[in-house]
Amino acid sequence: MNKIYLWGFIVTAAMLGFTYMSVIGSKGGLNGDIVNILTAAAAVALVLITVFTVIKYVRQMQVDTASGELANEKWDDIGEYLNPIPTGWGILFLLTMVWGMWYFLIGYPVNGYSQIGEYNEDVAAHNTKFEAKYKDITGDRLIEMGESVFLAECKVCHGLTADGIDGTASDLNVRLEANVVKYHILHGSNSKLMGTENPMPNRYGIMNANTDYSPISDAEIDVVSEYVANGMTGEGADVFAGACAACHGADGKGQAYVAPNIATFDIGLVVTILNHGKRGVIGGMPAFDRLNTKQKEAVGAYITSLSAKE
Amino acid sequence: MENRPLEYDYSVSKLFIYNTLFVGFIGMFVGTYIAWEMAFPSLNVIFGDGAIAEYTNFSRLRVLHTDSVIYGFVLSGVWATWYYVGQRVLKVSMAESKTLMVIGKLHFWIYFASSAVIVVSLFMGITTSKEYAEFEWPLDLGITVIWLLWGASIAGLIGLRREKTLYISLWYYIATFLAVAMLHLLNNLEIPTYYASGGIGAWSHSVSMYAGTNDALVQWWFGHNAVAFVLTTPIVAIIYYFLPKESGQAIYSYKLSLLSFWGLMFIYLWAGGHHVLFSTVPDWVQTMGSVFSVILILPSWGSAINMLLTMKGEWQQVASSPIIKFMVLGSTFYMFSTLEGPIQAIKSVNAIAHFTDWIIGHVHDGALGWVGFTIIAAIYHMIPRMFKREIYSKKLMATQFWIQTLGIVLYFTSMWIAGITQGMMWRAHDEFGNLAYSFIDTVTVLHPYFIIRAVGGTLYLIGFVMFIYNIYKTMSARQVEESELQNATPMGA
Amino acid sequence: MFHWLEKNPFFFALAVFVTIAFAGLVEIVPNFAQQSRPLIGTTPYSTLELAGRHVYIKNSCNACHSQLIRPFKSETDRYGDYSLSGEYAYDRPFLWGSKRTGPDLMRVGNYRTTDWHENHMWDPEKVVPGTIMPAYRWMFVNNTDIDTAYAEMLTIEKFFGVPYNKPVPMKDGTTKIIKMGATLNEARMMALEEAITISHDMKNQDVIDAVALGRIPEIVALIAYMNSLK
Ligand code: HEC
Ligand code: HEC
Ligand code: HEC
Ligand code: HEM
Ligand code: HEM
Ligand SMILES: [Ca+2]
Ligand SMILES: [Ca+2]
Ligand SMILES: [Cu+2]
Repeated sequence: MNKIYLWGFIVTAAMLGFTYMSVIGSKGGLNGDIVNILTAAAAVALVLITVFTVIKYVRQMQVDTASGELANEKWDDIGEYLNPIPTGWGILFLLTMVWGMWYFLIGYPVNGYSQIGEYNEDVAAHNTKFEAKYKDITGDRLIEMGESVFLAECKVCHGLTADGIDGTASDLNVRLEANVVKYHILHGSNSKLMGTENPMPNRYGIMNANTDYSPISDAEIDVVSEYVANGMTGEGADVFAGACAACHGADGKGQAYVAPNIATFDIGLVVTILNHGKRGVIGGMPAFDRLNTKQKEAVGAYITSLSAKE
Repeated sequence: MENRPLEYDYSVSKLFIYNTLFVGFIGMFVGTYIAWEMAFPSLNVIFGDGAIAEYTNFSRLRVLHTDSVIYGFVLSGVWATWYYVGQRVLKVSMAESKTLMVIGKLHFWIYFASSAVIVVSLFMGITTSKEYAEFEWPLDLGITVIWLLWGASIAGLIGLRREKTLYISLWYYIATFLAVAMLHLLNNLEIPTYYASGGIGAWSHSVSMYAGTNDALVQWWFGHNAVAFVLTTPIVAIIYYFLPKESGQAIYSYKLSLLSFWGLMFIYLWAGGHHVLFSTVPDWVQTMGSVFSVILILPSWGSAINMLLTMKGEWQQVASSPIIKFMVLGSTFYMFSTLEGPIQAIKSVNAIAHFTDWIIGHVHDGALGWVGFTIIAAIYHMIPRMFKREIYSKKLMATQFWIQTLGIVLYFTSMWIAGITQGMMWRAHDEFGNLAYSFIDTVTVLHPYFIIRAVGGTLYLIGFVMFIYNIYKTMSARQVEESELQNATPMGA
Repeated sequence: MFHWLEKNPFFFALAVFVTIAFAGLVEIVPNFAQQSRPLIGTTPYSTLELAGRHVYIKNSCNACHSQLIRPFKSETDRYGDYSLSGEYAYDRPFLWGSKRTGPDLMRVGNYRTTDWHENHMWDPEKVVPGTIMPAYRWMFVNNTDIDTAYAEMLTIEKFFGVPYNKPVPMKDGTTKIIKMGATLNEARMMALEEAITISHDMKNQDVIDAVALGRIPEIVALIAYMNSLK
């Protein structure tokens, strides 16, 4: 076999191999996605057409000889043959032009393509497919789904293991950290955690509106912060019962319309946070409008499961 | 008088060749450096994370790379050939007209001075952000002057010509001149804010006349055709002269040249829409961009085929001359990138390719394989004739060829894999219908490919240094050739 | 005919010019009027946001980041609603970008916050392990060029009628006024006020001190711009 063919074969095989690697490398494979399929096909066509066209001309360099009638003129000794254009090239040029005209004048307006229309169809198809699937997702599967949302959306802030990356976001493996609790007792809280504007007053306001008298002492604050952060265990139960239980409930699990659950995460709380975002001592947590209801529920289940393990 | 061979004057051409080598090295060095930065981000702060980091950072350096290779390396190369080829195919010497010499010298020195200002201003972060048109208005004016000087030299040489018919290369030089003039003027319509506001703020700052989608439309009409008329048509001009000249073969077909030229002129300008597919420009403009890109394959391939057929029956030359090798492989890469481009312009493919490294791969198989190789070959052909010396070392030249070829192959294959992988990962949904990957997952997978690309770029750069060395040694060697050289360039072992 | 042109350079050049100029006329001109109207809810940039936009451009963030969300499910899931032409009405220049080495930022204001940007611009690798985004620490030191932003506001108001100090219709039926200083000094004061609000959410003591003293480090302007991208 001629060396050129061998080279052509090697190049083709390598490029096709690379294309295959890329498709597999994106783990999903072709995924039945028409765009993926067309792209892979186009890449294959690109390699085959180039390699074999070039081989054709290299063969002519190797075996053919230059011939034809020369033009009268020469430029700095460069001559010019009056050879006709290569037939295949001419025909293809004509064909593509005809195709272009047709596509633009007839094919295209008749189809009335719109990229937004196409998008709407895609989304509708996606939603029908997954709405059917979502219905059955509960329990561990829901948590698994939530983990997948978490890894795509939340890990940039909360970290791969949800540890909050050195305090730059909340550590979600525990319900609350002591410094957060302390901050909210000192300054109150106003993050629509109940879904609506329903702030928790600051340390002066817990019992009455006096601004210079705090019904809870600094020492008590430290104790109760540890108590809450430790999952409502240890010292401070008395302070909690006195100062906090009225709103957050004796067990800290919150009361509807009054105050949120500060003992454990629950799906509703996380969903509310995802709907409204949150601002606190650590920083800002954005709202996530673009997640759908099921995704929010799922990630809520996942986060709840993180601290529930202990 | 008529019988004596003309003494051509290469002094302007030489200046441009020196600049091609100089800026070519800098631009590719920066390219290699930013390629390594993408593989190992700590290189961004190699001189510490303090004040210096501002100037060694990827995003500042990237425009320095693109602008210095395109407007420094490529344009200098193009002008070096213009001041060489122009005289020869028109049969006039620059020396015949004092005015032309002055124009040529001014052209070079104003260009050189502006380049220096551009480098400083880009380092300082003075940029309009428009790709390949980053320069602020004072530099736009400078560029206009430089361009007009080039135009004057074209008009001047043609005005004095003894050869009545314009050779094919000249068609392409003329088209380059006209198109870039038009693009540059329209894309850079901007209002200097310092003057408009009665003297507030930075004097160099300006604001674009176009907003949003319109601005994008004009910018990519410019951007696409800047590629066409800086990285394509002048390079076609170069190869149409140097390949037949070096090989001693006649151009395969005048008709093919003719159809390819006019076809390219007509079709290229419509294809810019392929840079804004799935954007907010109207669907029909996008479709137009895709359709014309596909048609564009043929006029592009027409020139490449014409070159390959010019070498018909001349395989022994391809095998023995590195200069011919550079040009034949250059034409091949031209074919590859002008098929790859149209394929990436198909909407479904662009949905994956756009925004990814596959585009970067496409850029560089064109830029390194086609543009770089053709310019390198042209300089190898010109230098021995200007200095009447044989090339210092053919072996070195051949080694350079293979090293750079390997570099290109590593570059475009790694970007091919990286681009397709990332494009598909962005689209992937998992079994729950959620996005399968967070963005960072699609960045970390690219690490090995970034390393391979950086190695490829380094090889290409090493080849380029060998090239500079070879040219330098050629220039400083003993004069051997007495008379005007014909065809094949003499090469030392 | 062609051979005749090849002997007559002037007409040759003319023919080339007509051939290449034609496409631009057909493709670009008709779209102009239609594309430039702002969407309801799209507002001009405030002084500090515009200055932040200049910081973004100065550092060529657009070399790695796009601001164009294509109408694909995978993109709207990741970044939010696909982009509409009218949303860019006040973008001079446009910043769509052509390479997405980092994620799209068209709506980053919706899902990232001041303190996150602060940490991320200081040390991206710490926030997002494996990232290849460089750190931008000098932005915590360098001062923002408010004057040039103000000059630009004056210019675009005068030449393009950008509605500063005028009610702009919002999606919920209300209107909003983006203010522009009447004098340079007023503009500087307004920018500082914006900067103070942002610095409240920041932790870097040098930056907070600088703002308290009336200086605006580039990072503050940049964050104002990032937060405005919605
Ligand atoms: C008057 C009722 C009331 C009392 C008393 C009260 N809280 Fe709250 N607390 C709330 C409300 C309402 C919220 C939610 C506010 C919001 O939307 O941000 C809240 C929020 C919190 C949060 C923030 C939860 C999170 O996820 O960040 C913490 C921590 C907290 N309370 C702890 C306490 C502790 C400890 C005490 C006792 C010292 C206490 N609260 C007393 C009403 C109260
Ligand atoms: C831009 C960064 C960022 C992103 C993205 C982010 N978070 Fe947060 N998140 C934070 C910060 C900062 C806090 C702490 C707010 C505070 O100071 O209390 C937080 C707090 C929270 C809390 C509240 C903990 C508490 O104190 O009650 C929950 C729950 C949470 N995030 C869940 C998520 C989920 C689920 C996602 C993804 C869908 C997510 N976060 C994405 C930054 C982020
Ligand atoms: C070398 C490429 C590069 C440059 C230059 C760069 N970035 Fe990034 N950027 C990235 C990558 C990669 C990510 C994704 C990983 C991460 O969050 O760090 C990113 C993420 C971001 C994000 C987070 C967006 C999100 O959705 O998570 C913001 C905001 C951002 N960059 C802003 C900037 C700004 C502002 C600049 C310029 C001053 C800049 N970047 C320059 C590569 C870059
Ligand atoms: C038939 C000819 C060609 C067509 C149809 C074509 C098409 C394309 C397409 C579709 C893109 C990508 C746009 C995107 O999605 O971002 C592109 C980018 C690019 N091409 Fe080509 N291409 C052609 C030839 C070439 C050649 C010969 C070169 C020479 C080097 C070249 C240089 C570039 C460059 C520099 C870019 C990047 C532009 C940017 O910054 O985004 N192209 N081309
Ligand atoms: C040693 C050789 C080179 C190396 C290592 C190199 C490397 C790079 C890198 C790393 C980028 C940035 C890619 C990204 O942002 O992802 C780039 C961009 C670019 N380079 Fe090069 N380059 C080299 C030579 C050249 C040459 C010779 C040219 C032109 C003649 C060129 C033209 C460009 C262009 C136009 C872009 C921008 C592409 C785009 O925005 O789509 N490069 N190069
Ligand atoms: Ca400009
Ligand atoms: Ca680009
Ligand atoms: Cu293009």
